[in-house]
Amino acid sequence: MNSFKALVKREYWENRGSIFLSPAIIAAVLAAIMILGTITGDTFVETHHGEINLWDKFPQAVEEFNNIEEEKRTQAIQISLYAPRILFGFVMMLICLFYCLGSLYDERKDKSILFWKSLPVSDTATVLSKFVSVCFMIPIVYFAVVAAFQVFLLVYGTVLAWFGGSLGVNVWTSSNLFGVLFNSLFSFVVATLWLAPLWAWFMFASAWAKKVAFLWGTLPIFMVAIAEGWIFRSSHFIEMVGERVARGFTTLNSDMHFLVGKDMFDEHYVAKWYEVLGESGFWIGLIVAAGFLAGAIYTRRYRDES
Amino acid sequence: MSTLIEAKGLSKSYGSHQALKSVDFKVERGRIVGLVGPNGAGKTTILKAILGLTSYEGDLTVLGMNPERQRHQIMQKVSFIADVAVLPGWLKVANALEFVTEVHPNFNLERAKYFLGKTNISMDAKVKQLSKGMVAQLHLALVMSIEAELLVLDEPTLGLDILYRKEFYNQLLTEFFDEGRSILVTTHQIEEIENLLTDLIFIRDGNIVLNATMDEVTNDYIEVMVSKDNIAQAEALNPVMSRDVFGRKVYLFQGVSREQLEVLGELHSPSVADLFVAKMKEGK
Repeated sequence: MNSFKALVKREYWENRGSIFLSPAIIAAVLAAIMILGTITGDTFVETHHGEINLWDKFPQAVEEFNNIEEEKRTQAIQISLYAPRILFGFVMMLICLFYCLGSLYDERKDKSILFWKSLPVSDTATVLSKFVSVCFMIPIVYFAVVAAFQVFLLVYGTVLAWFGGSLGVNVWTSSNLFGVLFNSLFSFVVATLWLAPLWAWFMFASAWAKKVAFLWGTLPIFMVAIAEGWIFRSSHFIEMVGERVARGFTTLNSDMHFLVGKDMFDEHYVAKWYEVLGESGFWIGLIVAAGFLAGAIYTRRYRDES
Repeated sequence: MSTLIEAKGLSKSYGSHQALKSVDFKVERGRIVGLVGPNGAGKTTILKAILGLTSYEGDLTVLGMNPERQRHQIMQKVSFIADVAVLPGWLKVANALEFVTEVHPNFNLERAKYFLGKTNISMDAKVKQLSKGMVAQLHLALVMSIEAELLVLDEPTLGLDILYRKEFYNQLLTEFFDEGRSILVTTHQIEEIENLLTDLIFIRDGNIVLNATMDEVTNDYIEVMVSKDNIAQAEALNPVMSRDVFGRKVYLFQGVSREQLEVLGELHSPSVADLFVAKMKEGK
């Protein structure tokens, strides 16, 4: 168990840039833009009445905010808290894709595989540690960065409220912050787990590829799709893959969908994370993933490149 | 004495090419065995089979276990350095120590810190920031801190300059090797390790052509510097090889008594390199 933890830690060390630094930098840049935008905002905003001073408008805006119904206010705040997840979720999926493609290929490219194999760690533990990293460690780190950004948004809102002459307490009381955090955490993890068969396939391709793991990972998917179209005149396979990917994104952002009045995604494709857990497609995906992982373990164990 | 490695009829084919043709050998505890052969002779195949990194035919036991099936257990007692370049560039020295401590039940962290303390390697440095020699020092520090019974070295000093190469083997001998352990080493630079070795295995085209202790080699093989007058007599004793040195002939004999040879000229023990050349040319 200790050694499994060490293996996951190793994945973090190796990929710290994409797993932690990328979202952290995006969050920091967004925060900086918002702060600078507010401070310098008055010089940019011009209407047909001429230049207006944003600062003068604060009290009015804050008063309006305080006067709207509690329900609407909660909705507005939660939408602004969930919104960043669309961007961070998209970045995370891309990071996961490239992480998987490199997971069992890079170590062969730089020959470090011989060092890792000189230690008493089984191939099964190694491959599983990489799978656990993509399905749990990466989404949890992204969740943590998004959580920090959400707290920043609330602090930012509070400070704006102060300038508008309000205490800003309702920014927090209407936010349902703990509910938002709870839903965020599970949405991140369930969405990546929903995509597990794709991650496992890319890991298998990564273990298998002699060169350019990206092509080994993506071309077969298109080749199967083309072959199916040619032979059966149908497109079930590529539709299935497309739906899998799309549902990954909708699962990640379902909270947003329900908040904005259920018109963000196609009704058919969207479900809350706990509903996804109850779907057979979710569990079938994990079984398919197990098959690809077995292939990746076997390939890493018995591959002999000399 | 116990046997750490035993191979019987060990064979390996890559397609139609037979890399190993049914070889037998043993490595006993407390020995330093040099596995020497030209490129493509099958050295690396033997090492890979021992480490469970390739499939093979025949019988092979390492520490009483089967390397194909029990690789994971074997690696708790066997260490290896394959080449100086295998530590990944992104790895921080401190993280390398932390990782090995957590995954290896027989790793001694204090020892590793002690070894690293004698070098200029900083704990915060990443492997890619270190020179080739320093990477080798780091790898050696890690490996020497593992309580292993068998250490396998495959061209461990390739690409290192002479100072690091000497230091590498000196450290192994003084800080790691003892009668409880064995080292199996392959290298192209035989001159560097010939004084270290206790046993010698020569391999050519997938066959073992020499398998002896260094004592046996010194007793069995004698080099004689023969003056011109005695050349005919020397040739009559069937030398394994002859070469010209400064206008005189040097003959290598196998299994000929010292008394017989003494009358021909000055006797020497052949260097492993000369013996190697002789063995590789034999029968060709």
